Amino acid sequence: MAVKAFSDEWAAQFKDEVNKSSAYKAAGKGWKWTVGLVVEAEPDKHFPESRGLVMDLFDGDARDIRVGSAGDAQKCDFVITAPYTRWKQVATKELDATKGMLQGKLKLKGDLPTIVRYTKASHELTECTTRVPTQWPDEQ
Amino acid sequence: MLGGLIEANVQANPKKRQDFDQLVARVGIWVTDIDEGVTLVFDSGHLTMHNGLEPRRTITIRAEAETVMSLSNLKIGLFGMPIYYDEVGRGVASKLLLGRLKIDGLLSNIATLNRVTRIFSVQ
Repeated sequence: MAVKAFSDEWAAQFKDEVNKSSAYKAAGKGWKWTVGLVVEAEPDKHFPESRGLVMDLFDGDARDIRVGSAGDAQKCDFVITAPYTRWKQVATKELDATKGMLQGKLKLKGDLPTIVRYTKASHELTECTTRVPTQWPDEQ
Repeated sequence: MLGGLIEANVQANPKKRQDFDQLVARVGIWVTDIDEGVTLVFDSGHLTMHNGLEPRRTITIRAEAETVMSLSNLKIGLFGMPIYYDEVGRGVASKLLLGRLKIDGLLSNIATLNRVTRIFSVQ
């Protein structure tokens, strides 16, 4: 059943997808930092308030993925920020996350060499988001 | 992002700093699947970035975004040479052979390319 984008249920299903992914388990080996995704508000898309997704990823596993405030996500070791529409594009495979970061469409904060070392893992993470059946607020 | 990557690498690693301080080259990077690129002008410890491809480039790398990121993941081996026999290296080499990675000015500037690769490498 489809769940509301960036809701608690969405975060729980996303976590399940990450932990089911053997590709992520292999590519994320050695990763030990928290990642925050900031989804910026777009009121005209029925996404009125910014939200944060706080991901505790460790050594190929998702220990916790939860929805919080944008401020919660900004406290993570790595922070990726984009408006709601961009994240929707990523989660629906319209925008490749690597290309988005190279183009500055997704703003990245954190140690760049570390995240570049884990390009495969971040690619697989975004693949996991595409497997979560999602209700998009601007489509309702 | 590429500028930030170079800055972080050079700050964190004295060998990369040494390469950066010695490098004088105009390096174009064109990301074919987003149709965007930059020119990195290295001038003995200074870097200027221009959007798009500027004239008089020493080398120009043309590849998809994923391949550009793979170049940053090349390991550096003996004598500062990039390693092309591990998984990442083989992937880069095969893209070069298949024409999915093109490097203009490669043959006459191998030393420069190796130095650029060392500065870019996060490994």
